[in-house]
Amino acid sequence: MKVRVLSIPVQNQDKALKFYTEILGFIKKLDIPLTEDNRWLTVVSKEQLDGPEVLLEPAPKDFEPAKIYQNALFNAGIPCVQFDVESVQAEYDRLTKLNVDFTVRPTDMGAARIAVFNDTCGNLIQIAQLI
Amino acid sequence: MTFYQKEINRIKGICYSNDGQSQTVIGTRSYIENNFDKKLNLDVLSHIRFTSKFHLLRLFKKYYGQTPKQYLIDKRIEQSKNYLKMGRSVSETCYSVGFETPSSFSTLFKSKTGLTPSEYQKSNFHKVNHNRI
Repeated sequence: MKVRVLSIPVQNQDKALKFYTEILGFIKKLDIPLTEDNRWLTVVSKEQLDGPEVLLEPAPKDFEPAKIYQNALFNAGIPCVQFDVESVQAEYDRLTKLNVDFTVRPTDMGAARIAVFNDTCGNLIQIAQLI
Repeated sequence: MTFYQKEINRIKGICYSNDGQSQTVIGTRSYIENNFDKKLNLDVLSHIRFTSKFHLLRLFKKYYGQTPKQYLIDKRIEQSKNYLKMGRSVSETCYSVGFETPSSFSTLFKSKTGLTPSEYQKSNFHKVNHNRI
């Protein structure tokens, strides 16, 4: 078995694609039409083009339990996924200039530094680096 | 304050309240990052941080989830991937990242990546050319 795809539930795929590519810097990899308004839509890290794809899946739009679960995580401040970055502080500075909201500012946890931001698609995302 | 923020504070209080310990392991990792191509062992690392070998071993594993030796091997393997992609030979790569013999390098490389260094180099050569096409 290989890790090829991980999914992030999003409320609006167009909005999510815009945020993940234009703000976070991911690259669109696959965009396959499925039903009228749902697509198999994946992005990859530009630093890891052969790495796992992030599937921006519209489950919360069509499946109520997914929406409830997403909202519960969000309201508790719990990130749905974590991405590695070279420098949490540099990424925090870059993203705040682009008006991204952080719920956890850069914080040291032992030998790791973390921060958490709102992806505007219903999720919180944690970024982390080893220090 | 959200549930997650409270949990961060709680875990920090339980696991990472000793700043001296944190600085010791962070300094050790930093030393490995900057000197992975040299001959490193627990004696050298503990001497640099003025601590006992076994204390350092326990602390490092507590903070990073692996021993300094495991961390060093992973670091060397990651760096060797970069050198192989750049076209360096297997033996040149081996010595550049601090391994002492090409055979131990190849064995470790295969155990970590599933490919021998030569196979890895070939597969990445194909990918580079495929992307160009």
